[in-house]
Amino acid sequence: MDFTISEEVKSAQQLAQKILGDFTEVDKLKAIEQQEERMDTALWQALAEAGLLGLDIPEGNGGTGLGFYSLTTLCEEVGRTVAPVPVIPVLVSAAGTLKRFGGSAHNEKWLGGIASGSTLVTAGLEEYNNDDPTAPASTAQKMDGGYSISGTKICVSLAKSAARILVSARAGDDLVVALVDPRAAGVTLNAQRVTTGETRHELVMDKVQVPTADIVAVGREAVAAMEWALQATRTALAAMAVGVCDKMMRITGSYTSEREQFGRAIATFQAVSHRVADCYIDVECLRLVTQQAASLIDQGRPAEEAVKMAKIWCGDVTHRVSQASQHCHGGTGVDRDYVLFRYCELARQIELTAGSSAQLVGELGQDICADYLAKAG
Amino acid sequence: MNIELTTQQKALQMEVREYMKTVMTPELLEEMKIPEFKEGGGPEFRKQYARMGADGWIGLSWSKDLGGKELSHVEQYIFTDEVVRSGFAYPFLTTEAVTPVIAANANAEVREEVVGGVKQGKVTIAIGYSEPNAGTDLASLTTRAERDGDDWIINGQKMWTSLGNFADYVWLAARTDPDASKKHKGLTMFLVPTNIEGFSLTPVHTLGVRTNATYYSDIRLPDKYRVGEVNGGWKLITGQLNIERLSLFTHGQVASLYEGVCEWAAATDAPKGGKIIEQPWVQHNLAKVKAGLEVVKLICWKQAWAMDQGPLDMADASVAKVYSSEFFVELYRMLLEVMGQAGTIATHSPGAVLKGKLEFRWRVGAVLTFGGGTNEVQRDIIAMAGLWMPRTR
Repeated sequence: MDFTISEEVKSAQQLAQKILGDFTEVDKLKAIEQQEERMDTALWQALAEAGLLGLDIPEGNGGTGLGFYSLTTLCEEVGRTVAPVPVIPVLVSAAGTLKRFGGSAHNEKWLGGIASGSTLVTAGLEEYNNDDPTAPASTAQKMDGGYSISGTKICVSLAKSAARILVSARAGDDLVVALVDPRAAGVTLNAQRVTTGETRHELVMDKVQVPTADIVAVGREAVAAMEWALQATRTALAAMAVGVCDKMMRITGSYTSEREQFGRAIATFQAVSHRVADCYIDVECLRLVTQQAASLIDQGRPAEEAVKMAKIWCGDVTHRVSQASQHCHGGTGVDRDYVLFRYCELARQIELTAGSSAQLVGELGQDICADYLAKAG
Repeated sequence: MNIELTTQQKALQMEVREYMKTVMTPELLEEMKIPEFKEGGGPEFRKQYARMGADGWIGLSWSKDLGGKELSHVEQYIFTDEVVRSGFAYPFLTTEAVTPVIAANANAEVREEVVGGVKQGKVTIAIGYSEPNAGTDLASLTTRAERDGDDWIINGQKMWTSLGNFADYVWLAARTDPDASKKHKGLTMFLVPTNIEGFSLTPVHTLGVRTNATYYSDIRLPDKYRVGEVNGGWKLITGQLNIERLSLFTHGQVASLYEGVCEWAAATDAPKGGKIIEQPWVQHNLAKVKAGLEVVKLICWKQAWAMDQGPLDMADASVAKVYSSEFFVELYRMLLEVMGQAGTIATHSPGAVLKGKLEFRWRVGAVLTFGGGTNEVQRDIIAMAGLWMPRTR
């Protein structure tokens, strides 16, 4: 049992902290929020030059090869700074899956460009009423030279500027994981504004011809790829939530220590300080389950259950810390000239992405039931 | 970062688990049916405690010159976790919290008598901190110790002196400087043999177990039973609080309740067909318990690991106490809900589920949120030490 974080991982996280801090002053955030696409390309390039986009990309493919755990610490820092960079869809859901399941052809074709910041590959894992990419409603039909894919994915980040979008679709009993070119015939992108205020896209695919070169995996390998993508994405979301919630809580601790009512700092009322202390407890709990899930994935060990628990905590803690932070701020917290609203929006976005707490509690309960019924014979 | 037990750690876990099965003899289980002996103190308990001593299981974390094995905190936690899981009323406060302090601070003769006795599993020590008017504000205690030649004369009353009815000593905090402005600086620690003249007790029956009120009436105590410096007691009290807590909130004891309820629910028919565990609301409770338990496990491991790295972070220690105590209470409820009416059937009554363990743990659990430092004070500490917020008033 060892909770030690290696020096390499620590220094990568500190470097990320420094760069992200420099790029996320309020004026910069506001300027990016005016853009059609919520992405700070200059920051993305700075992260690339520092080697931070390639944390989980092998050195042979232009990355730094520190591994998945290190990548989750980058996600945490992005959450802490609400930085407008697509670390989860591009680096975790897409690049992480390609690295592990894409084989050498996809690795050589895509990973170098992702690590250097020159290429964006994003992922569309969710459909309406379905966040399980191993069981999509989208369909794929085998044809000469590839597959024809139809179906709808929702809330896809950077759908317009990405070179490809990683999706899954069903071909009869088989699952297919493919890279769809958003410029291909049959693709329609409909803008969807989401809770964070950013524009994402509904990706509608109508018999989109995907060449064999863009097929990532088929059959059992595709199922394994989507299972990994879902677990990794949930874990990365939980890591981002650690950063978001830790920062919200600290903003609230500072604000209530300065804000005076009845002639004293409101933090000197136990009713206030205890609410913030509860956030501290929540964040520590979330941190522990997230570290566990991340380290299991990092080591390539079974992580399904740990990930479910991490995402359950993630949903509960983002909700509670966000609400407590708003509450303890009074009117200041909801003012868009103050920093807090961005954190609250991102917290809600994370909470509802890739499975809510209620849903995962239900799934975990079914797993427990199956496990104990099997033991009971 | 690899938050799993190593092969050696798992081996230690299994070794303790197997050994404790031999400690929990049928005779001991029978003895524990007597309310008086539920928390230890009966002849069979004494026999098994002494056997643990003879087999070298007591004081594993102590230094080698005390006869210990200098186990790391992680190994010590694994031991504690398994012993608590077994249900044996092992006196952790005696062995882990108080005895090391006595070893470091007591007079040589008393040290030999007490530390040696504990090592052999022959001595238990009760804690004499709380008083009728000194609980959370412990430093306001008024039990007096006055110097008289080579002795001390002790007068006062202590409350909640658990194990006092069979312990050999009380680890007593007394006021030696009556100057009220020196509230924390006027306390001294003593070991009071319970067979000394002037010591008496009355039982206090609680929602859960029996405890005691203990009385100290003109006790003449030789100075050799003073531990540490005169007026230096406060740091001896507070120095071992974190270690104390790490033995109170362990994972195995509640994990085994969860596992027991899961097994019961998988084996028991539901009224409208299928098994109890197949009902969505049951699965909901079990999943909530599991997700919460996972954090208990990780918090305990992290604390034990951190204590091996250096001093424990103050806020983290309080986080562990608040989270675990409040979650234990939630867990008892959520698991009892699964059993419904059957959950109210007490130990030894026909129809009791899991031998009524949960019905009993709930009773004992009522003290968790305020015992060992009430959670309001812990939250104050978290706000100040973890978030640099100002002191509340």
